[in-house]
Amino acid sequence: MIGSRMIGAFVACLVVLSAVVAHAGLPTDQLKGAIERVVKTLDNPALKGEAKVAERRSAVRKIANDIFDFSEIARRSLGRHWAARSEAEQREFVMLFGDLLERAYISKIDTYGGEKIVYTGERAEGDIAVVTTKIISKNGTEVPIDYRMLRKGSDRWLVYDVNIEGVSLVSNYRTQFNKIIQTSSYAELVKKMKTKQGELSLDDDKQGKPRTQ
Amino acid sequence: MRRSGLDVAVGVFLLIGLLALGWLSVRLGRVELLGNPGYSVIADFPSVGGLKPGSSIEIAGVEIGRVDGISLHDFQARVVMTIKPHVKLQEDAIASIKTRGLIGEKYIKINPGGSEKLIKPNGKITEVEPPVDIEELISKYVFGKV
Repeated sequence: MIGSRMIGAFVACLVVLSAVVAHAGLPTDQLKGAIERVVKTLDNPALKGEAKVAERRSAVRKIANDIFDFSEIARRSLGRHWAARSEAEQREFVMLFGDLLERAYISKIDTYGGEKIVYTGERAEGDIAVVTTKIISKNGTEVPIDYRMLRKGSDRWLVYDVNIEGVSLVSNYRTQFNKIIQTSSYAELVKKMKTKQGELSLDDDKQGKPRTQ
Repeated sequence: MRRSGLDVAVGVFLLIGLLALGWLSVRLGRVELLGNPGYSVIADFPSVGGLKPGSSIEIAGVEIGRVDGISLHDFQARVVMTIKPHVKLQEDAIASIKTRGLIGEKYIKINPGGSEKLIKPNGKITEVEPPVDIEELISKYVFGKV
């Protein structure tokens, strides 16, 4: 009787412990899962080669949409100019900015050549977590990349900022957007982003690559 | 009688001189006589490399406060700062440690956010950028290739 009670207590302890351990690593687990899926997509022989660029990119984009909170990134990047925009403008901006980020970075991800990704730590405080990683290239150069994640719902974590070598993506865009809005106007910023969008898709066309959209 | 008049004049002159000297040292030393007006907030940086108590905190190049103290907290640098009372910081404001010029002093630049929630007194700035270590960057990209 006593033995079975002790076993019961032991099992209960194990369950509690494993729950704690699993909970502590949730942001890392989710980020790791997404990055592993991207690497798998890039390594997938069925999606390799120039002809499959569009297919490959749209697959990466889908995974990015799962782990990145693009509307949060857009809101934070626009900073204090966000609240002054109408709902329609905000929606348009999120779309434009998400497109800009994807076009600028997904083509970079395409150049991935088996660099090692190490997860060096995680720090969580309330609804915010920072997952620190390092990318180690073949010649040994280490680039620290920190992902800042926000809890959405009970156990879903989404990235809202990326810190590369200590430089924050949101901070970089916030400074640029603020400068453009203060020296000209919000309309000018949207115009600039639209031309950039056109340029980037033109680049894709020039290289004979089909557009991602 | 005339002699004592001169004494008083010298005394008064000396007193004015001393007061002026005191005022000068308070101004130059940036000492707050009546305590720091403002509220304090903290921020944890992975590194502060060269930031010191007394370093200024700026928004758009305008000083809005000063660094009160720096201590080690959970192997991170915890910076306590005093912000002027009329300046309100949003929850998503980003604090970055910058260098004035290429090799100048370090200061904290705050990039104001757009959140409706404000950071309360004794609150925390969660979004931070450590200083970019130029030497480390150079050595990494100069010596990194083996």
